[in-house]
Amino acid sequence: MSNTSFPIPMLHSTIRIMAPFLLAAIGGLFTELAGMLNIALEGLMLIGAFFSVVLAAATGSLFLGVVLGILASIVAAYVFGFISLNLRANIFITGLATNLFAEGLTVVLAFQIFGNKGVIRFANLSKLPDLSIPSLQRIPVIGDIFIGHNVLIYISWLMVILAAIVIYKTPFGLRIRGTGSNPGAIEAIGLSPRRYGMYAILISGFTCGLAGAVLSLQMGAFVPGITSGRGWIALVAIYLGNKNPLGIFIACLVFGFAESFSNYAQGIMDVPADFILAFPYIITVVAMIAYSIVQHYRLKGSEG
Amino acid sequence: MNRQRVASLMSSVTGLFLTIAIAFAIVVLMILILSDEPGRAIYYFFIGPFTRAYYLGNMLNQSIGLMFTGLGIAVAFKSSTFNLGGEGQAYSGAIVATVIMLALPNMPGFVGGTAAIVAAILMGAFIAGLSGFFGMKWGTDQLISSFLLSAAVILIINYLVTGPLDDPTNSMLTTPRIGQQYQLLRIFKPSKLDISIVFAAILAIGTYFFMQRSHWGYEMRMCGLNREFAKYAGINVEKYLMVPMAISGGFHGLAGAIVVMGTHYRGLKGVTAGLGWNGIAVALIAKNNPIAVIPAALFFAYLDAGARAAMLHSDVTFELASIARAMIFFLVTAQALYGLFNSKKKVTK
Amino acid sequence: MAYLQMHGITKLYQTSGVLANNAVDLSIEENEVHAVIGENGAGKSTLMKLLYGLEHPDAGETFFRGERVEIKDPFAANRLGIGMVHQHFKLVPDFTVAENVVLGTEPRKRGIFIDRQSAIGHVAKVIEDHGFSIDPKRKVKELTVGQMQQVEIIKMLYKNAELLILDEPTSVLTEQEIERLFETLRNLLSRGKTIILITHKLEEVMDMSDRVTVMRGGKVVAVKRTVDVDKRELSRLMVGKDILLQVDRPAKEPGETILEMQGVTICCRGQQRPLLDGVDLKVRAGEIVGIAGVGGNGLAEIEDVIGGLRHPGSGKMFLNGEDVTRYGAEQLREAGLAYVPADRLNRGASLQSSVRENCIVTKHHDFLKAGVLLQRGIREFTRQLIDHFSISAGEGMRAGNLSGGNIQKMILARELSAESNFILFSEPTWGLDIASSQFVYEQMMDLRKRDAAVLLISSNLDEILGLADTILVMYRGRVVGRLANTEDVTKDIIGEYMLGIRDDSQGVAVASPSGVRGE
Repeated sequence: MSNTSFPIPMLHSTIRIMAPFLLAAIGGLFTELAGMLNIALEGLMLIGAFFSVVLAAATGSLFLGVVLGILASIVAAYVFGFISLNLRANIFITGLATNLFAEGLTVVLAFQIFGNKGVIRFANLSKLPDLSIPSLQRIPVIGDIFIGHNVLIYISWLMVILAAIVIYKTPFGLRIRGTGSNPGAIEAIGLSPRRYGMYAILISGFTCGLAGAVLSLQMGAFVPGITSGRGWIALVAIYLGNKNPLGIFIACLVFGFAESFSNYAQGIMDVPADFILAFPYIITVVAMIAYSIVQHYRLKGSEG
Repeated sequence: MNRQRVASLMSSVTGLFLTIAIAFAIVVLMILILSDEPGRAIYYFFIGPFTRAYYLGNMLNQSIGLMFTGLGIAVAFKSSTFNLGGEGQAYSGAIVATVIMLALPNMPGFVGGTAAIVAAILMGAFIAGLSGFFGMKWGTDQLISSFLLSAAVILIINYLVTGPLDDPTNSMLTTPRIGQQYQLLRIFKPSKLDISIVFAAILAIGTYFFMQRSHWGYEMRMCGLNREFAKYAGINVEKYLMVPMAISGGFHGLAGAIVVMGTHYRGLKGVTAGLGWNGIAVALIAKNNPIAVIPAALFFAYLDAGARAAMLHSDVTFELASIARAMIFFLVTAQALYGLFNSKKKVTK
Repeated sequence: MAYLQMHGITKLYQTSGVLANNAVDLSIEENEVHAVIGENGAGKSTLMKLLYGLEHPDAGETFFRGERVEIKDPFAANRLGIGMVHQHFKLVPDFTVAENVVLGTEPRKRGIFIDRQSAIGHVAKVIEDHGFSIDPKRKVKELTVGQMQQVEIIKMLYKNAELLILDEPTSVLTEQEIERLFETLRNLLSRGKTIILITHKLEEVMDMSDRVTVMRGGKVVAVKRTVDVDKRELSRLMVGKDILLQVDRPAKEPGETILEMQGVTICCRGQQRPLLDGVDLKVRAGEIVGIAGVGGNGLAEIEDVIGGLRHPGSGKMFLNGEDVTRYGAEQLREAGLAYVPADRLNRGASLQSSVRENCIVTKHHDFLKAGVLLQRGIREFTRQLIDHFSISAGEGMRAGNLSGGNIQKMILARELSAESNFILFSEPTWGLDIASSQFVYEQMMDLRKRDAAVLLISSNLDEILGLADTILVMYRGRVVGRLANTEDVTKDIIGEYMLGIRDDSQGVAVASPSGVRGE
């Protein structure tokens, strides 16, 4: 990584930091379009983070770790979906339940397996392979910022494109959107809105599992609460991104930049760590309020 | 009509029973899988809190904070406003109360204590009220904004406790101790149970009457059940997007102050951790009925006490309680488990 | 055997304990229009849901084209060639016409993608073949109600439906749109389709159907050839006794103006036309003013403005001489408003609350003492209302457990108890049975007699013609017609105003396609 001037490494790390937001938000977009508020993103991510790093270390294979981490997250998503949709529980409460469950389960398992509730490092774990294309990397600025990240980062971009295609170009996407907009229309043609809701939840399980894997495998460690509110921020990104993949990409870019900037600020100024940690929340809540003010006046301005 | 009520109560009770049974079954299952001495762990998880007066007293003591936060959430939920920021509000109440009591070392206990409690209530009400205000003014989603605000507040208070407010005379990351005169009377020594449990129970009953019989309570409930109807009838629905949030935050701030004055006598990092989330669980299991909050809070305190006893006497960890709690969260609103009874709580966006 | 034969169909709703269908037989011949009529709750909608696979019968058999069939879901019904046009459209507003039509059976390219071109092509062909004129690429939310219904029909034709069920298809349409629909139906009939028409409007039965099945209380009470019966007989069969809308409206000189709107306008950005466009309106003491119009033309907005739930962008509103333009619901009520809303289950009542709490909502301040609600006074007051309006309910019962008619009575009781001199009724009898409707009408006439000013917003023209002294007709947010209700005023005339064919607000009658008399 060339250190020409300070914004370049900051932008480079922006790209890295935004990936988990992006993945979680893209999965959350499916549930949002299917008409459900998915608070469980945070917990699903946490489960993905825990199982992917632990199982990668146990199997010695990063790939297997990622796959199994995603699988664990999908299983959790299924439970969340089953209770919400089939047992007709309030999805907002079950979302909280998923988060609490993930929090409890990861700590209990970590303690029982490693005898430790703190940071668990996996020394034997190999690094995520970087995608390095020397010829592209030599392009000034662009090459510095966009090239040389690990493969999961690029996979997250692929997921955005894939999501856009699925949502707008396939019958499945059409039905998911129909489910959210008018479940009666889906029911009237003999399809089950509940089933499409479940598909959306499982997709969010998939992307959140991957998002968690990105977090923990990049670090080569598991930390309790490693997701530290990213699921919530992703949720806000869905709204700020106007519920479309491109908008979400931009919103996540902004959040990634904010976090990257605060990390950088910590390096050069003497800001307490807790403030740095609080920064993404503050940015997010401010962005959210600003967004709702804009929406409010747009709506109000449209009347007389 | 009465038969109807009885039937709905019955199915509500069986549903609750089923929920709790499933939650316990999951915990037992986890113990069986994870523990090398499952019999011991299970014994202490269920019976532990009753094996020593000390445990029992501490369990009762723990229910106090839960009653306050549970009441706060019940009031918010009954009004269909959503306060997910209880953790931060309780924490801020604890810290504000601590700071005031530390700043007034020579004040009579009652005066300074009252000032601390009032300040804590106001602080909690302010933070929750902010989310309420944004929601009222611009339709900002209260659920998400209250969570995010609280998350930020927690981190900032962590900084205060471990930084500027840290007691330099000891190596722990805590504030100095509050004056003797502010420490609430312990009524079941050697446990930490203090007199405020009486206050909490009275407050629960008072809240019940407030919600059922008072002007504000009635208007808040009408808004909660059907906002369109309330608006049509001339009730100021905007106001009741903010008021219940502020009341709810006030209860959380109070919880924070009482935990400091009755239990810890100082502010420490994460002094109120868990009170917010557990408050939601308590309110849910109490079906937002303020009086039912009392047993519900006792139940959750029992869960925690059981997990703590199991941790002390066997090889499992305390977080088992949070798994049980999560299971209850999962199932407590599941209508399929509650048969015909369906209170159709509108807890959507 | 008949084309469609349902035999001994029984359906009990477990949760409510309602026996919606009790050993019902229905027999439909190929290529006929068969009307199924009955009052609300007679079981006709349930029967159709069973036929379309949305519900499943507890007993009984269905034979279609000579074969016994089990219809487990709408998909299966579609496969058999049975299609249904629902009363409340099952459309996705954000989707295009073509997307709505192909939803669930999307043509694909390369196996996984929607083939938009062929979807549009196929839908365009169905549209053309059946003489509709809708652009398949338009978004459904931009269409008129009549066009939305056409989309529903196109949807069924696209799925090759041979037997079409239409559930109350005319309830949201203007007279002219209804005519248009009937043309479509005749056209379909000439192509060999079979049509089941669910309705409670007798005229439609007489106009359109070959045969008619009458249901009452979950049972079939008669099956007739339409030519053999008249409206009066059908009406008697439906309700079991001989009632037609009969209201005695003695001549009466109105008094002073109670409510007045001057140039009330509501604009909505992004919408081409204002929702309300310079509405002038006056209601005087002892007078019933009726406002007619099709949904989406400003009726709901007038209701909201008067109810204080929405403020006009410009214009003024006066109530008892007071400028109430910017008042909220509470101040308006103080100024003398009582208001029975159209959406009675959501706006007019809180179904989760007790009857008591519903009854005091607009006047709970009266029962306050030091911030506390006095229970005894509340009980007494509620009991009085229950007695006075003969509501079958206990004061502690949950409002949601009351029947529709009793809920409306409860709302009426509450609103009338304020003894205001202005009362707004919006769709006061929608969905009520005849006895309950009659009760509402009597109350309105009583108010008129007692010199209250009454504003009636209704899409039911019989009601408007039967009750109102003055009739206003709304079209696209404007008052296009202002008529004194005399013998000369007919449904047809009002219908023409409702569709914008007649428009007095422009000074001259607009050219009309169907040779309407000018004034």
